[in-house]
Amino acid sequence: MKNQSKQGNPIWGFLCSVRLTITLLILLALASIVGTLIPQKEGAVEFAGSLSPETAKLLFSLGLFDMYHTLWFRFLVAFLALNLISCSVNRLPGTWRLFKASPRPHREKPFKDLPPDRSFLASGAQNEVFGALEERLGKRWGRIRKKETQGRYYFYGEKGRFSLFGFYLVHLSVLFILAGSIVGSLSGFEGFVNIVEGEQVDSIALRNRMGRMELGFEVRCDDFEHKTYPNGMPSQYRSRLTFLENGVPVYKADALVNHPVQYRGITFYQSSYGTVAGDRARLRIERTGSPKETTILEVKVGEAVPLPGKGGNFKVIRTEADFRGMLGPAVQIAVYPAEEKDGELRIWLFKNRRLLQERFPPQMLKAKALNPSAFPPYTFHLEALESKHYTGLQVNRDPGVPLVWTGCFLMVAGFIVTFFTSHRRFWVRAVAVQGGVRVDVSGTSSKNPVGLERELDHLVASLRDKFQARERKNAS
Amino acid sequence: MNSMILSYITFVYFFSFLFYLLMMVMGKETLGRAGTWITAIGIAAHTFAIALRWVESYRLGFGHAPFSNLYESLIFFSWTIILLYLIMEWRTKNRTPGVFVTPLAFLAMAYASFSPDIKSQIQPLVPALKSNWLITHVITCFFGYAAFGLSFGLSLMYMIKRLEKGNKGRSFIRFLPGKGILDELNYQMVVIGFLMLTLGIITGSVWAHSAWGSYWSWDPKETWSLITWLVYASVLHSRMVRGWRGKRIAVLSVIGFACVLFTYFGVNYLAGLHSYAKT
Repeated sequence: MKNQSKQGNPIWGFLCSVRLTITLLILLALASIVGTLIPQKEGAVEFAGSLSPETAKLLFSLGLFDMYHTLWFRFLVAFLALNLISCSVNRLPGTWRLFKASPRPHREKPFKDLPPDRSFLASGAQNEVFGALEERLGKRWGRIRKKETQGRYYFYGEKGRFSLFGFYLVHLSVLFILAGSIVGSLSGFEGFVNIVEGEQVDSIALRNRMGRMELGFEVRCDDFEHKTYPNGMPSQYRSRLTFLENGVPVYKADALVNHPVQYRGITFYQSSYGTVAGDRARLRIERTGSPKETTILEVKVGEAVPLPGKGGNFKVIRTEADFRGMLGPAVQIAVYPAEEKDGELRIWLFKNRRLLQERFPPQMLKAKALNPSAFPPYTFHLEALESKHYTGLQVNRDPGVPLVWTGCFLMVAGFIVTFFTSHRRFWVRAVAVQGGVRVDVSGTSSKNPVGLERELDHLVASLRDKFQARERKNAS
Repeated sequence: MNSMILSYITFVYFFSFLFYLLMMVMGKETLGRAGTWITAIGIAAHTFAIALRWVESYRLGFGHAPFSNLYESLIFFSWTIILLYLIMEWRTKNRTPGVFVTPLAFLAMAYASFSPDIKSQIQPLVPALKSNWLITHVITCFFGYAAFGLSFGLSLMYMIKRLEKGNKGRSFIRFLPGKGILDELNYQMVVIGFLMLTLGIITGSVWAHSAWGSYWSWDPKETWSLITWLVYASVLHSRMVRGWRGKRIAVLSVIGFACVLFTYFGVNYLAGLHSYAKT
């Protein structure tokens, strides 16, 4: 069959060749190796920085920092799909012919060089033996065909015809998976959103394309829960979500790792979490002088608060859960002296001032913006800053997924048909000889010759037993 | 307790290997029979220890199947290799593959039990691993790896058998099965491995779809399992369609197993999502 292409044009022959298949499979494998050795996407930035500019530029122009989405990688995959379709189309007529073929029962060729253990002698009247054989074989293969010629009886039976189509199933499954991935990338999206506890969002950030996307509804995170085992390992992350349509809650569900939540065809996956500063802080304010006075105040961001002793007022203008990612909780306050002409003074207050002192020289900390005593006679201390969790949700829509799962199912079914079933044909010949009827059994198989031999052994043994049992019955 | 039993089993498999080897070198079937018995005792104890570890994890209060880190996966890998090998030995009535297969199980056990980088304590499951797919994914993948391991052993045997040529009857090579049988067995192992790897990748994608939000993320382990899949797919195409046999298939199977090993271990040196399988 693989020579069929010889009569056609060379391009078709090339497209249909298994050599092309193997070449493409190996090329895809090699490309994928490169893709795993060079960090992709997010990791690529750091990696590219460690290379010389020329190398980085070369790798970038080849698309090696996002290789799996480059045109050339997709071209390889498309080429494989084309090759697979061509091969299947090319082989279809041949397979169909094999499928429809109905060999003559009275062929002699299968019995050429038959090993002796594939024959046995059945005693008894000829037509009785023939009848018993027909009944027995009919039971085994369902439909059998028989022929009598020159005093010999021939039977033909077969099984596993459908096995010829196993590889079509596998090829089809690959196309389903590829189709699923195309549908997914054309009409799906991958996005991301962080929601602070108690707050709600109506849009998400897209991953591959820049920009945000409106959801068409709102999602609120009512609560984020972070459980740990006694040894400190994380045990469970859970976001309690409420979905709202025009401000009206319509659906509540919990998103956990491994248990995403779906709403209006969009899936929300528990992906990460973090903390942000809330809008409440507790400050301790010391006033030097006699007597020394200490006041503790609960303040809300943006609210002007009078200073103790009428020295003016102040407000918290910014909060940071972790200043610069290492200096811990901090707030910035703006202080307004009683005499307005003095303007405002902005000071950053840190909860763990020691972290600051460890990292920066003392002169620097005397700068007004960092000095808690910059507005005498007051010294400000940040006692506590409210912190809130936010939940990081991956937000996806992928309409290609059902196609992919169908493909996966077909692939496994196709493998089972292709690898574990075979098209087997059997010929049985019964010849009247001296002392009874000699029965010869032979067969061919589309694959797994060892399995065929085993089946023929079984067949001969079971027929022989059957006839011997009959003999014993007749004798008694 | 379980990890102590498991570290002793390392030596049991080493003795199976020794007995199989002595059988082949000295040509005494009795030694081989002893090898089979030792291996059978080994896997019985091995099964018991895995079950015990499972039970112990419940006693610690966070019960889960013992498939959650590199230590447990190595233990299971070794178990699947021995199980598949014993089935093959029983079906083919030939013990020589034991010489080439038991070292894989022994090495996996030794690595798990004696490497200082590998923690044998039972750890609770991190949230990402808390899924019903854990068991199916790990079982299918590791039966796949084990079948490819056997295919690797059979390919080595094939290459050794090729050296035989004229001087029949003298060297130990004569005890190896015929080239035709080795080739056929190798093919069968590749088929089993390929089916299992496919199931492993599929269960992995179904899982990833619910855990990471995408059925395919080009994570290095995913990608390397695809590379392995592509290599074995070309083995099967070249054999089934182009009719390749023997040496070329053996060489390709060895390359395939190298990919399996990289998928299993090498990927740990690349950044990715499968980080819990590292230690």
